[in-house]
Amino acid sequence: MTATLTAPAAPATRGPRGLVWALVQVHRMAFAFWAVALIGATAGLIWMYAIGDTAREGNVPCTTPARAGYPACASIETITVDDVYRSGIGLIATVLTYGVLLVAPWAGGALIGRELESGTARLAWTQSVSPARWLAAKLAVPAVLLATGTGVIVLLNDWARGDDAPDLVGDWYNADSFVGTGPTAVAYVLAGLALGALAGMLLGRALPAAGAGFAAALVLCGVLETFREHLWPTVTRSGVEPSAELPRSAWALRWTTEKGSPTDSVTFHPQSHFWPLQLVETGILLTIAATATLAAFWLLRRRTP
Amino acid sequence: MTAVTTIETSTVATSSRGPRGLLWTMLRVHRSALWFWVLLVAFGAGALLWAHGPAADAAWAEFRRMGCDSGQPVLGCDYIGTAYDRYDTFSTLGAGVLGLAPFLAAAWAGGALIGRELENGTAQLAWTQSVTPARWLAAKLAVPAALLATGTLTLTLLHRMMWSTDGQLRLAMGSRDWYEGTTFEANGTLATAYALLGLAVGVLAGLLQRRALPALGTAVVGLALLATSIGTLRPYLWPVETLTAKDGYPEYIGMVLGDGALTSTGARVSDPMCIDNAKCLAKHDIVGFYRDYHPSSHFWPLQLVETGIVLAVTGLAVLIAFRLVKRRTGAAV
Repeated sequence: MTATLTAPAAPATRGPRGLVWALVQVHRMAFAFWAVALIGATAGLIWMYAIGDTAREGNVPCTTPARAGYPACASIETITVDDVYRSGIGLIATVLTYGVLLVAPWAGGALIGRELESGTARLAWTQSVSPARWLAAKLAVPAVLLATGTGVIVLLNDWARGDDAPDLVGDWYNADSFVGTGPTAVAYVLAGLALGALAGMLLGRALPAAGAGFAAALVLCGVLETFREHLWPTVTRSGVEPSAELPRSAWALRWTTEKGSPTDSVTFHPQSHFWPLQLVETGILLTIAATATLAAFWLLRRRTP
Repeated sequence: MTAVTTIETSTVATSSRGPRGLLWTMLRVHRSALWFWVLLVAFGAGALLWAHGPAADAAWAEFRRMGCDSGQPVLGCDYIGTAYDRYDTFSTLGAGVLGLAPFLAAAWAGGALIGRELENGTAQLAWTQSVTPARWLAAKLAVPAALLATGTLTLTLLHRMMWSTDGQLRLAMGSRDWYEGTTFEANGTLATAYALLGLAVGVLAGLLQRRALPALGTAVVGLALLATSIGTLRPYLWPVETLTAKDGYPEYIGMVLGDGALTSTGARVSDPMCIDNAKCLAKHDIVGFYRDYHPSSHFWPLQLVETGIVLAVTGLAVLIAFRLVKRRTGAAV
C-alpha cells in the first residue's frame, strides 16, 4: 500500500512527468537550439524596432538642395541605418518562411526515425507507455513549443515592421513577407512537424526519414508559393488606360492588351486580400498537418499489435 | 602453397563480376543515394533543356504577341508574362539543383556515408577485414567525388548552353545577370568545386561526430558557413576596373563594387550630393566621378581564383580527415 501511495507523488515534484520528461532529456540539444534561436530572433526584432524610426527617415523622397518641404539628399544619404533594418527584417522573414525545412527533417530523423531504428521506441512500448501515448507525446510537446515560439516571433515581426513600408520590408505579397507576417508561418511549422513524423513512421529509419521530411517540406513550400495567387479569387479591371498604373500595394498578376481595343485589362490582388489568402493557406496547411498526424497514428496501430 | 592459389582464384572471381570489393560494397549500400543523384541530375538536365528549347520559344512568341518588340512603350511589358515566368521557373530549377547539390552532398556524406557507419560499427568491422582504414576512407571519398563531379559538370555544360543562346531574351526582360550568385556558380567550375567541398566537409563532420544525425547537422551548418564566407570574398579575388566621368556618374555595367566622387588631386571622396550645383562641386573640389566594377570579361579569372580557393579548402578537409582516421586507428596509412 505504501508503494502505491508514494510512487505517483515522486515524479510530480521533479517537474514535467514521465514521457514529457524523457522527451525533453533526449532532445535537449534540439530544445536548446530552439531556445537560442527564439532568444536571438527576439533580440534582433527588438533592435529592429528600435532603429525602425531612423530607418524610415532615411527612406523618404529628397531633393538637392532641400526645397518644397523635402529634406536635402545629402542629409538623407548619410543615414545608413535603413540598410541594417532592411537586411535584419529580410533575414527574419527568410527564417520564418523556410524554418519548416529544418523542422521536418528533425521530426523525421531525430524525433521518430532514430527511435524506431534503434529500438528505443519498442523498449518504451514494453514499459507502461502505450504506443499511441508515445506518439501523442512526441507530437504534442514539439507542436506546442514550435507553435508558441513561431507565433510570438510573428507578432514581434509585425510590431518591428512598423507601417510595412514596402521599400524597407518588401511588398506584402513577396513570398518571405507574406508567410512571416501572419498565422501561415505557424501552420507551416506544424505541417512540417506532422509530415516529418509521418515520414519517420513510414520509413522507420533516421536518415531516410530526415531526407524524406526535407523533400516533403521543400515540395510543400514550392507548391504553395507557386499557387498562392489562386487561393482567393482575383480582381480583374477592364477598360484600363494603357498609360495607367496600379498602386504599389496591388499584387499585379496579368496585364492584358486587347487586340483592337484602346484599353487594357489588368488582373490583381488588392492588399485587402491579404487576410483571405493567409487564412486559406493556413487552412490548407492545418488540413495537411491533421491528415499526416492521422496517417501516422494509423501506421502506428498497424505496426503494433 | 595451396592457400596462395585459393587467394588468387578468389581475386579472379571478384574481378569478373564487375566493380571490385570496396567499390562494389559502396555502390550496393548506397544504391538509393546513387539512384537519387541520377534522377536529380536527369531532372535538372530536363529542366535546363526545356528552358533552352520550348520554354524560350514560347517566351519569345509571347513577347512579340504583346507588342513589346514594337519599340513603342507598352505598359504590359512592365509585367513579366506567363510564358516568360515558366521559362524563368525551369531555368531556376535547373540552376537550383546545382545550388542544392553541395548541401545534399554534405548532409549525405556526414550522415549516411560516414556517421552511420561509425555509429553502428560497420566501419570498425570493415577495418578488421582486409580493408585498411585509409583505403576505406579513400574509397568513401573517391567514388562519390567522381559521381558528383560527373553530374555537376553535365548540368554546368547544359546551363552554359542555355545561357549562351538565351541572352537576348534575358536582356529584353531585364532579368538575371552573369554575376548573380546561382548563375555565376552554375556557369563555371564553381558548382563542381562546391559540390566536392560539400562532400569533404560532410566526411570530416562524420569523422568528428561519429553519429549519423549530429554529423548531418554539423556538415550542413559547416558548409553554409564556409560557402558564405568564401562567397563574401568573391568580388575581391581579381583587380577591379574603374570607369570615370566628368559630369555625372559613368554607365552602370557589370558587377559594381563601389562608386563616388573624385577631387582634382585624384583622391576618392564620398559624393557631397550636389551634382547640379557647380558652386557646391567647386567648394568640395569635385572634378569627376568614378565607379569600380568587374566587366563580364572578368568572369573566368574570378571563377578560377575562387575555384582554386574552394578546392584548396576541400584538400585541407580531406587531409584532416585522413589524419583523424590515422590517429584514431593507430594504423599505418
